[in-house]
Amino acid sequence: MSVIPAALATATAMAGAGAVAGFVLPYRLRVPVVGVLTAGVGAAGGTAGLAATGGSRWAAGLPGLLPLAGAHVAVDALAGLFMAVAGAVVVAVAVYGIGYAAGHGSHGLGSRTAQAVLPPFALTLVLVPVAASVSTFLVLWELMALASLLLVLAEHRERASVRQAGVWYAVMTHLGLVLLLAGLALFAAKAGGETFAALRAGAPTVSPTVRGLVFVLVGLAFTSKAGAVPLHAWLPRAHPEAPSPVSALMSAAMVNLGVYGIVRTGIDLLGGGPAWWWLGLMAVGGASAVYGILQAAMASDLKRLLAYSTSENMGLVLIGVGASGLFTAYGNRPLAALALAAALLHVVNHAAFKALLFCAAGSVLRATGLLDLDRLGGLRSRMPATAGLFALAALGAVALPPGNGFISEWLLLQSLIHGLQVPGVAVAVVLPLSVALIALSAGIAAAAFVKALGVGFFARPRSDEAASAREASPLMIAGMGLLAAACVALALVPGLLGDGLDRAVSAVGLPGTGAVSGGGVRVRLADISASLSPLWVVAALAAALMVAAGLPRLYGRRRRRANARLWDCGGGAPTPRMAYTATSFAEPLQRVFDDVLAPEQDLNVTPVRESAYLVERVRFQRRVPDRIEHRLYEPVLRGLAGAGQAARRLAGGSVHLYLGYGFVGLVVLLLALAVGW
Amino acid sequence: MSGGLYTQLLDLACGAFLLAAVIVLWMRELASIVRVFALQGIALAAIAVLLGAHEERWDLIAVGIGIGALRAGVLPYLMRRALAALTQDRRRYADGGAETRETQPLVNVAASLLTASLLTLLAYAVARPLTALHPTPATHALPVGLAVVLIGFFVLVTRRRALAQVVGFLLLDNGITATAFLATSGVPLIVELGVSFDVLLAVLVLQILTTRMREAFGTTDIDDLRELHD
Repeated sequence: MSVIPAALATATAMAGAGAVAGFVLPYRLRVPVVGVLTAGVGAAGGTAGLAATGGSRWAAGLPGLLPLAGAHVAVDALAGLFMAVAGAVVVAVAVYGIGYAAGHGSHGLGSRTAQAVLPPFALTLVLVPVAASVSTFLVLWELMALASLLLVLAEHRERASVRQAGVWYAVMTHLGLVLLLAGLALFAAKAGGETFAALRAGAPTVSPTVRGLVFVLVGLAFTSKAGAVPLHAWLPRAHPEAPSPVSALMSAAMVNLGVYGIVRTGIDLLGGGPAWWWLGLMAVGGASAVYGILQAAMASDLKRLLAYSTSENMGLVLIGVGASGLFTAYGNRPLAALALAAALLHVVNHAAFKALLFCAAGSVLRATGLLDLDRLGGLRSRMPATAGLFALAALGAVALPPGNGFISEWLLLQSLIHGLQVPGVAVAVVLPLSVALIALSAGIAAAAFVKALGVGFFARPRSDEAASAREASPLMIAGMGLLAAACVALALVPGLLGDGLDRAVSAVGLPGTGAVSGGGVRVRLADISASLSPLWVVAALAAALMVAAGLPRLYGRRRRRANARLWDCGGGAPTPRMAYTATSFAEPLQRVFDDVLAPEQDLNVTPVRESAYLVERVRFQRRVPDRIEHRLYEPVLRGLAGAGQAARRLAGGSVHLYLGYGFVGLVVLLLALAVGW
Repeated sequence: MSGGLYTQLLDLACGAFLLAAVIVLWMRELASIVRVFALQGIALAAIAVLLGAHEERWDLIAVGIGIGALRAGVLPYLMRRALAALTQDRRRYADGGAETRETQPLVNVAASLLTASLLTLLAYAVARPLTALHPTPATHALPVGLAVVLIGFFVLVTRRRALAQVVGFLLLDNGITATAFLATSGVPLIVELGVSFDVLLAVLVLQILTTRMREAFGTTDIDDLRELHD
């Protein structure tokens, strides 16, 4: 008997037990028991995923589980990769979550509802890739959305903004579900079966128009879940308002499933498609990457910054997936495999560093009660472990060596640069543009994370809360330590992942590339003469750093050192308020991208009474609104509200009118029937 | 019963059934409307009994007799009682019979009759594929049931008096019952019993409502009820 069904059964049983425990147990017992069971769900699910990436497969039909169609499950290497990522994130975050929820009262994440929903949410994260029929997939997808919604709302008593975020999230995730339902139902109807096997077999018989429509519908739904523009508006709202472990789970595991959905339906089930599908996907990815990281660079709320950075990273992944589809459409399968491998590797890397970043942000929130970077600062000395872990994860997020994000972005760039050998005008235009977008987003990401780390953790504290911060509890640090270990391993020896990645890529019918195999030390590309040894890069960097730091010290020892007070221009000792804040740090960047960001400024000058020349108070306000939201969502919402107001006039109060609606409706229907025959 | 005689009798009953519905549109005096409605009940009962006799099913004949008793007897009796209360008022206040006459329907009588003919045409057009499925004398008469449904609905939409509304509702229900009989050659006793009981209750409730309306507003013109809106 294979290990996969046993592991999945264990995970399901543990999630059930966790849900019951969350409801039944008193507060003191509830948090650790639920935490351990959730970690168990993650461990079991991750084991199943690892087994699948290791080459074993499993498929089964469970006819009694869902009415009419029955449930179908199957695990291949692609599903296994996402399960393993979700499982690993769940384990670490569950450990962290015990520390996070313990000792903070039976509200918020410690409440009965939140604790009861947490294990099932973890389970659905692991199980969504297991689904192998449309109905099973949709049921699990919806369960995941509902569970995450309840968790986002966990702190609704503390802040009113949580409720608003919940409404946004609920509406957008269900719009996504409607699109998904429409697309997959159409696909199933035309392909003549709703299991993934039947879809795969029936896809070539479906007309190209219908295939294109299906791809657009499910693509919109999945990119919305992945947090890509223009359907990203829920993400910068829900992620900051959710409790931090939930943000970590959503941002590191849930959004990945949007990518999984696109790879599964677009490349696997639909069997690839014409170039315009993938060009569209790359456009969405590129826009998300740049727009997301620009907003992140402007944000001064730490979790909002991280949420927008998620949007950016998912954009990069979508560029990779789109490039893979594009190369397949032009017949260059090895390059397609490389692009997809890069995208999947970036999913793994992003999960590792983003979960760690959110957990570290949660530690800061727990220690200070603040997320506003402008009021933080000086946390490095008060919370050294958290600061160190945040720095490690930020290194991964900026895509510079020796961070783990560097390797996947390097692979992605390699695949795009070498894609120029593929003929076609569209390719010749799009690929260099994508490379430029990736480079731009990497640059802005560096600025954004320098800001987060430098302003938030270095310098002097800018508020009393920040000055009196205390280090996170040992369990929280342990959870973050697990994630940090994953980040380091991914940065140094990504090759350990190589074979699994290869199997995941070949699960959708592309040839394996062996891109990151080779003993775990080197990354070499078989069809392209390029290679990279992360370990050597790290060693070289470390040596260079040592030289750079050591030489001045050696050289400076010969000179006498004099300690003196910093010259303050005669204005008194500089206060922390004079140091760089997040807003002031981002200001130059904001000027550069003024046309894109369109910030709103408000200047109110109140003169002293009876004199126009003496100013009593100056009030300056600047906001950087989400411009896509401004331009795209608000007109739609206004239109809907206007239509609703206008519709009230239909209900005038006359009974005859109401009866008349029914009568006219009936007659029109009958007329349509009569004419139709 | 021979086939020809059965067909002729069935057509006659259906014709009377449809004609009664049209006459309801034509009449203004509520008392006459109730009388015509009773006649339609008899026609409906006749349809059911004829079907039962043709297929030699005694339960269908029993259902037919029950329908006749309810729709030609009990329901008109209830409505007449409500009408009697209104008539007493007329004597008392000498309001010129505004309460017992449908003086100003929303659509005038000539236009109503024209609309009824159009609705009947529509019913025939819609029922064509149903008739084609299994052409028998009963299914050929099917459009009559649909036409009465539509005419009943039309009465509901255009008539102002509460009692006329009740008759419209009952016409609608008569039409549904007739369609059910003609399309399926007989409804199970239990279903028909349930429907009849429902209709009886609805009429009882509406009768009480009519009385209350008159007491509260001094009129039974339902166009005066305009509070039901957002």
